[in-house]
Amino acid sequence: MKIIVCIKQVPAKDAPLSIAGNWIKESDIGFEMNEPDSYALEEALRLKEKHGGEVVAISMGPERVKQTIKEALAKGADRGIHISDDQFAQLDPLSSARMLAEALRKENADLILTGLQSDDHGFGQTGVLVASLLDLPHATIIMQIEVQEKNMRLKRELEAGWFQHIECPLPAVLSIQSGINKVRYATLKGIMAAKKKEIASITRESLGVRSEPTQKIENFYVPTKTKKTEFLTGTPAEMATKLVEKLKFDARVI
Amino acid sequence: MTVQREQLEADVLIVGAGPAGLSCALHLANLIKKHNEAGGAAGGPALSTENIYVLEKGREVGAHQLSGAIMNPKALAELVPDYKTSAPLDTSVTDDAALFFTKNSSICFPLTPPPFKNKGNYVVSLNKIVKWMGGLVEAAGVNLFTQFGGASLIYEGEGIAGVITEDKGVDKNGKPKANFTPGYELRAKVTVLAEGTRGSLTKQLVEKKNLANINPQTYGLGIKELWDVQPGRIQPGFVAHTLGWPISTDMYGGGWIYGLSNNRVSIGLVVALEYSDPRFDPHAAFQQWKTHPFLKKILDGGKLVRYGAKSLPYGGWYAMPRNYLDGGLIIGDSGSFLDSQRLKGIHLAMKSGMLAAETIFDALKAGDTSAKTLNAFPKKVEQSYIKNELWQVRNFHQSFQHGLLTGLFQTGLQFISGGRGLIDPMRNHEGYQAYKKLDRLAAGAARTEPERFKGDGKLTFDRLTDVYHSGTRHEEDQPCHLIVRDLNVCATKCVVEYGNPCQYFCPAAVYEMAKDSNGRPKLKINAANCVHCKTCDIADPYQIIDWVVPEGGGGPNYEGM
Amino acid sequence: MKILVITEQRQGKWNNTSFETLVAAQQIAADTSSAVGALVIGKGVANFTEDLAGKSIAEVLLVEHDLLESYTPDGYSLALLQVIASSKPDLVLFPHTYQVRDFAPKLAAMMGKGMIADCVGFHKEGDKVVFVRQMFQGKTVADVTFQGPSPWFASFQSGAFRADLLKAHPSGKAPVNKIAVELKPEQIRTKPLDLFKEAKSSVDLTQAPVIVSIGRGIKAPENIPQAEALAKAIGGEMAASRPICDEGWLPMERQIGSSGQTVAPKLYLALGISGAIQHVVGMKGARTIVAINKDQNAPIFEIADYGIVGDIFEIMPALTAALEKAKT
Repeated sequence: MKIIVCIKQVPAKDAPLSIAGNWIKESDIGFEMNEPDSYALEEALRLKEKHGGEVVAISMGPERVKQTIKEALAKGADRGIHISDDQFAQLDPLSSARMLAEALRKENADLILTGLQSDDHGFGQTGVLVASLLDLPHATIIMQIEVQEKNMRLKRELEAGWFQHIECPLPAVLSIQSGINKVRYATLKGIMAAKKKEIASITRESLGVRSEPTQKIENFYVPTKTKKTEFLTGTPAEMATKLVEKLKFDARVI
Repeated sequence: MTVQREQLEADVLIVGAGPAGLSCALHLANLIKKHNEAGGAAGGPALSTENIYVLEKGREVGAHQLSGAIMNPKALAELVPDYKTSAPLDTSVTDDAALFFTKNSSICFPLTPPPFKNKGNYVVSLNKIVKWMGGLVEAAGVNLFTQFGGASLIYEGEGIAGVITEDKGVDKNGKPKANFTPGYELRAKVTVLAEGTRGSLTKQLVEKKNLANINPQTYGLGIKELWDVQPGRIQPGFVAHTLGWPISTDMYGGGWIYGLSNNRVSIGLVVALEYSDPRFDPHAAFQQWKTHPFLKKILDGGKLVRYGAKSLPYGGWYAMPRNYLDGGLIIGDSGSFLDSQRLKGIHLAMKSGMLAAETIFDALKAGDTSAKTLNAFPKKVEQSYIKNELWQVRNFHQSFQHGLLTGLFQTGLQFISGGRGLIDPMRNHEGYQAYKKLDRLAAGAARTEPERFKGDGKLTFDRLTDVYHSGTRHEEDQPCHLIVRDLNVCATKCVVEYGNPCQYFCPAAVYEMAKDSNGRPKLKINAANCVHCKTCDIADPYQIIDWVVPEGGGGPNYEGM
Repeated sequence: MKILVITEQRQGKWNNTSFETLVAAQQIAADTSSAVGALVIGKGVANFTEDLAGKSIAEVLLVEHDLLESYTPDGYSLALLQVIASSKPDLVLFPHTYQVRDFAPKLAAMMGKGMIADCVGFHKEGDKVVFVRQMFQGKTVADVTFQGPSPWFASFQSGAFRADLLKAHPSGKAPVNKIAVELKPEQIRTKPLDLFKEAKSSVDLTQAPVIVSIGRGIKAPENIPQAEALAKAIGGEMAASRPICDEGWLPMERQIGSSGQTVAPKLYLALGISGAIQHVVGMKGARTIVAINKDQNAPIFEIADYGIVGDIFEIMPALTAALEKAKT
């Protein structure tokens, strides 16, 4: 099986965020693999262990993104693809999906996996869009994958504790639910082997995809509390009643 | 649990990717490259930079690097001749001042005492320097493994034969998880311990092989904050060291203020871990120091960027352990290569790494990595400027055992006698032996529990807020890496004799005294907060705390520090 | 402007967030002098149109087909593509459900459009409608506008609007119009099988609209049932700050904070939580924060919308009682 995993590099979870224009200041912060994508990678590696084949890690962004691709290689991915783009953070979801789809078109993969969404933008659309652009069937929030020949039996998560089994033909695109597996550690041998694995570099321009932005970030800010804390007074019973009223009629959250 | 470990072999294994470890790796790689380019040694063993392994427990190179820092570039100049254009040096020192603080005022020393003179040096972020060095080391073909620590030593014959890395994927009860990956048995012809201050493997090795010198190692604790301040408040390259308030004269310590570029300032307080009041709180003292008008003027309206803490070895020359044995060398802070008078350890760490590299290169060529051959290392150190510098200040720190004033007097004499002073060598005790039991402290002071510092959230911060800004993270479900050998001591003995100093000296709020279900005191360890400073291992009065390496990748994130 | 809301139902029951989206549509319509339509899609779902026809909207669209009996992304996208072609809405709105995540971006992409998903609100700037969505797990907010001509596609986060603010039809009922669509079996590539319920092995706090969180103030595990009763009364999920999970009083997956989950629910109730920064970064994106703590200087009050300085053991039962009373 040829399995492609779309992996995003995002600012480290604990990085102090400073606003710079319509994005955050990227200097002086650390970057890491988007956690949801690490579950997709783990799933891909398990499928390879079971069915043989190769796992390809693809990522888009500036030069530093190669470090995350190397991590995927160290964990067992066979090769990497880096779409070089310094302005990656500015792309809307459809534009980035178009780049990915174009880069993957010739790969003719059996399966393309993505994480649910990224910890920075949080669009959550990449998998669905790549499937649409490559005209492949897709499914999202996948908890389990069973491959049978040219078909898959999948377990998909719905809200409120509901699940569903679906059948999906190969090739296809799947978005993997987070936390479904215990992600493996990179081994020393894996880290050494990663140095010799190929990371193909393509520029965004060379893909020849023209994509007009479909949306624009007008303003990007840290939400500040505009209201002052309203302290309630009285006996516990009085305060409780007042609070319920406020939550119901003022804040309108219950 | 008994595990099957995968075995790997290297020529050289360096534990720790700090300035010492990376200098060793880079210099050795350069020597090997030149050797191979010149056709290799006729008949000698083939050498490859790929057989040099470096282990780094942090998430990435530089993650655990913290220092003020003022760097003397002389070692870097030897290692990377074009460093001026390629290294992230930040700024040259433009101004150096020594200040004496009283509660509300500061007096500038009319002449900057020689140890505080820093012209020609650079204000740097050690994290950035080390990150950059890591890039050079990897480009040279060396295998640099991040997120791997040295958990235990492999002993063989009279010396060491390598290291076992930590097991990964173990839950907090010691049971293997689904992604359990046993540590590797990494063997090497030479293992270099470059673990930094109070290295955990170094501590074991020194004890087991009796490598200690005539003085036990003593330490200071440095607590640092990195701030972005309003424009105009600080000059890049401005360097000031402060003595006095709030450190009382019976303690050894002082502060620093270094101006970096882009309105960034590095501030911190260092305190020797040999004070008498076991409830002294170094973090609180640091926060207090920031309220001094001199600091307030700089920090007002600014923003805290990062926080961190690290111990530093003060013992100097007479505390330097024997640093060579069959198959092993000790370099950098682990080997006491720090000038405590000038507060400079970076260039000495680098130089020690380079001398170790030369020693190892010769040993590999000769096919002999025994103590006999590795003995060349201390000999090279003797012949180098490391000895010159450290010899001058060999009694410096020990002079302050009895307070600031006698210390200044003694070191003044040492200054004019090439380091000899009145007593040479000046002996000292271990730091924790300075604690006075609670009932011996000044009357009244003992019984009241000091109020925990809260901070105002703008200029001063409580410990938890600061820890958050250290970026420290650990895999939650893993065994506790702070091993307290007898918790009963904490609950019954220490609480009475010393008042549980761990809750005060830990700069990361790891140790807490809580109450168990019967209302009795119980030690609570918040291991995930640990910033790997090693203070607990050093300053615990009963010496029952062993800091061991947690699962690789965990620890602080000292970006920019 | 013509606004079309795509509603959702499954197994004969409404997904109530559909009504929240309808409220959003009504509010946008009021601000832009637009007309709102609501769409029901499936098979044998005509009865759902009744609930919609009674609301203050211009029309209800009914799309039925055998191949739409069970949801599939291919079926829904292809059917709605045809609806949009004939009905020509300018703005197509969805509730941001798991199902919508599965097909709506595809529908938009099929028309060469991008979707602004998971919005928490909107406002008007001049003559443009600006959609507001969170990034960095609620730590930052972005105001986003569409570029290029309509149709435009957007979805709203559950809880962003209140379903009970839905305006009823002023005079009678909105007309229900059927739209025929063509679908062929070979176009539907995935095959939906059984739907089943499982006792969820793990809880996803990031999806909970209301969270009741306990801190050290709870003092002992024996006191937790009081908080659980409150959570039940308010319809919330239980969560906790780190020390509670460290002690094992609640499972690790209920931990909120820098070493646990980051949540942005519409209501976060912090009981006996001091507000250390490690906890606050995990929940300050919540829309409404209520803090109850006996220490008036507790940092949690700095980010709370409503605060009660008091004993949680008195407040919890009082609050539970008041909530039960409000239900009647």
